[in-house]
Amino acid sequence: MKQRLFGFLVVVGSALGACSSHQQDSAPAIRIRWERDPENLNPLILPNENSLEAANLLYSSLLAVDPGKQQFVPSLAEALPTVEQTDSLTLLTYRIRAAAVWDNGRPVLARDVAFTLKVMNCPGLPIETNQAQWGFIRDIRLDPADPRRFTLVCAGRSPEYRWSSGDYIILPEYPLDPQGQLRPFSLAALRADTAGNQRNPAISAFVGRYTQAQLDHHPERLPGSGPYTLEAWAPGQYVTFKRKPKWWADTLHSDLLPLQARPLTLDYQIIPDEATAVLALRRGDVDVYPMMPAKEFQRLRRDSGNKSSLQFHTTESYKMITACFNTRYAALQDRLTRQALSHLFDIPALIQATQLGMAYPSVGLINPTAGHLYNDSLALPTYDLVKATALLKKAGWQRKPTGGWARRGVDGTTQQLTLTLSYRTGDPAFETIALQLRAAAGRLGIVIRPQPLEASLFWEKLRSGSVQMYLFTVTGNPFVYNFAPILHSKSIGAGNFTGFGTPTSDRLIEAIAAEEQEGHQAELLRRFQRLMHEEKPLTVLFFLRSRLAASSRLTTLQVTSLRPGYTATAIQTKAVK
Amino acid sequence: MKQPRPTELWAWWLAVAWLALVVLVALCADFLPLSYPAATPDLYAITQPPFAGPHWLGTDPLGRDVLAGLIFGARTACLVSAPAGLAAAVIGTILGSAAGYWGNQRLKLPAGLAFLLVGLLLFWGCFTGPGPWFLSWLVVVGLALVAAARLMRLSERVAPQPLPLDTIVLSLLALLTSVPQLVLALAIAAVWPPSLSTLVAVLTFTYWPVTAQLVRADMRRIRQLPYMEAARAIGLPTWQIMGRHAFPLLWKTIRVTLPLSLATLIGLETTVSFLGVGLPLETASWGRTLATARLDFTAWWLIVFPACAILLTTLALRQLPFYPFGKSS
Repeated sequence: MKQRLFGFLVVVGSALGACSSHQQDSAPAIRIRWERDPENLNPLILPNENSLEAANLLYSSLLAVDPGKQQFVPSLAEALPTVEQTDSLTLLTYRIRAAAVWDNGRPVLARDVAFTLKVMNCPGLPIETNQAQWGFIRDIRLDPADPRRFTLVCAGRSPEYRWSSGDYIILPEYPLDPQGQLRPFSLAALRADTAGNQRNPAISAFVGRYTQAQLDHHPERLPGSGPYTLEAWAPGQYVTFKRKPKWWADTLHSDLLPLQARPLTLDYQIIPDEATAVLALRRGDVDVYPMMPAKEFQRLRRDSGNKSSLQFHTTESYKMITACFNTRYAALQDRLTRQALSHLFDIPALIQATQLGMAYPSVGLINPTAGHLYNDSLALPTYDLVKATALLKKAGWQRKPTGGWARRGVDGTTQQLTLTLSYRTGDPAFETIALQLRAAAGRLGIVIRPQPLEASLFWEKLRSGSVQMYLFTVTGNPFVYNFAPILHSKSIGAGNFTGFGTPTSDRLIEAIAAEEQEGHQAELLRRFQRLMHEEKPLTVLFFLRSRLAASSRLTTLQVTSLRPGYTATAIQTKAVK
Repeated sequence: MKQPRPTELWAWWLAVAWLALVVLVALCADFLPLSYPAATPDLYAITQPPFAGPHWLGTDPLGRDVLAGLIFGARTACLVSAPAGLAAAVIGTILGSAAGYWGNQRLKLPAGLAFLLVGLLLFWGCFTGPGPWFLSWLVVVGLALVAAARLMRLSERVAPQPLPLDTIVLSLLALLTSVPQLVLALAIAAVWPPSLSTLVAVLTFTYWPVTAQLVRADMRRIRQLPYMEAARAIGLPTWQIMGRHAFPLLWKTIRVTLPLSLATLIGLETTVSFLGVGLPLETASWGRTLATARLDFTAWWLIVFPACAILLTTLALRQLPFYPFGKSS
């Protein structure tokens, strides 16, 4: 009898528990598939697309891209900046919205922006990537009369400063520097002499506090002004974000997408295996599957049984797969060798095999859909073994009777043309490319060894420059043409993993970023494409078409060509009839 | 002699025939008229079903020919499992028979040699264990000096010391068998760069305890047999006792376990390859072909053909020890 009573109580208890939990979760979480873990949520590092997406949920920036309008719109800022130009400087004046507050109710002020810029330039912190991207901001002038108004002093002139000067997340000063110890230091002083500053006790103390906060895995220690807080993070499994009950932008009732946050919970499920992810989508365990494998996407779309449960979207994207050369490696130092190896990729066949045609080739880093910015006078890369052989011979390589290629280097040593092709493991497209390249190279007697690497190991090797050739995904955007982070010589070791950089290319990259006139910038971009086409530090294999599958219970996905291809904060669920 | 039953006979000959075919295919893989090499993708025939077009057994989602994958996978299975099985058998036999024969007390080392061994162990321990380097060096150098100074006199005064060989081997066995083979193999293979030789070394390292345990137990039994005692009594040298009088009996155990070891090792190799660890991308393997089925669940041929190859080979190897003509009545 006791057992029966116990069983009854268990059943009733479970039922009540289920009811109560159901009530709590009346608005179900939006579950999105991520291929990999964000790994690091330190605002200064953000090593991959997922960490960037997560950071945009936790923090706000002055300006943000509105995917619906495909343009920058004010976020924390009240309006787009006013621009004033002097001989060698550009002055951009912003004012922060009066409604913008931190979680503790304190207003977001100009001094928080100054603090952010100082953190981005603080010696002793991992600032290389930020410096490459926002190094043009030389100073910030706070308005003594208005604590929300400030002016950014930027070196040189560029129309893109209007957007890029506000496209970084703003950090709060109060949790990390409550005493305002960084305030006395100017940006210029921080940037000038890093060795000197590192000895300054105030900066050392700040660096110590920042490091001890372990923001890599504890972003909650630096509460941002974004609409969400991190609720749970199980590395390699899931990351859950919860909507703040009161977010400052709620009071604005704005129709701009960056100022809206609809889902109460965003649950990112990390499922590296594609087949498992497809299964999860079909079972309803995942609601959004961005960049689905082409074959599965086509199969599910053709299957009439999925029409009621799933929706499918395709669009252009700025995501491209590139084959990159480490130009510091002796055998890859000359452009002729790199050109020759670029002729070994059978790009049309690879597009067909890996993307089922849902991709398109390009002569370089500019999307072919970019109109006059794209240099269509250049030839698309071709699969041509004869040309590759001729180029190798021109580069001084000689085929050995025993097989393989060799040449005498500048220092008199004999170089062998034996290469490894590194890539992040788990992507069948990379494996297919690696096998195709290996087979094509094998026909010429060149040994290329595919080297699939676990993601963190791959990044470690990229940063240390210990790769030779590697496959890499690059994601661009249609707003800012700043190639400095990936191809400027100053970024070698930070974001420029090819090690490429010549005075000519550096000057061209700087000129593109600084050019004001659209027509002239287009000319510079076309020249830049030609230079990259000749120098070949990397070969763009193809631009991907974005493929997104989602549960049909979702609406307002705002599928765009911009990464990550959807707008998580805009998603809504259909009302249940 | 009892006449073998026809079913036993058939089963055994079928097993031999299948294994001969596998070995033959592995040997002749380079000379077979295959339309596509195993690691060359046909980019215009991705996940093509079998019996349609030039790819007789179809292709995988990377465009690789399944037939070529099976043929070169047979070579990989032979090149990995046979050397690993033999090496594991040799290591297991040597260590297992030594532990079983000498036990803990019977192998006596001269005092000098015993001290040297202890010194070497300390040396190894100092450098692999925690602690400052210079202290390790001091301990080692001090021990070496003391040992060198007293070696001669100690050797004269101190009786030969027994080496606890059985305990050492059993400890090693306990250490290795406490971790599941697959986990151990995966852990080692993940650290070392993928290659055929790496995988052979990994499988040998993880599999020798199986043979060692059997041989040790058998040797302990054989050692007690009267003719072995007689051999020792008449003063035959140890190598002669072990080689000529113990090994023929041990061989029966080894002969039976070797094919079973090969079957297990093929299974282990395919599992490791299935998990994408151990072999380079361009090396064909049955396990790797099987793994590509994860990319497309509808491609039944990626499961059926490699699974059949693995199943038939494993069954054949397991059938091999049951030699029907050798049974005594």
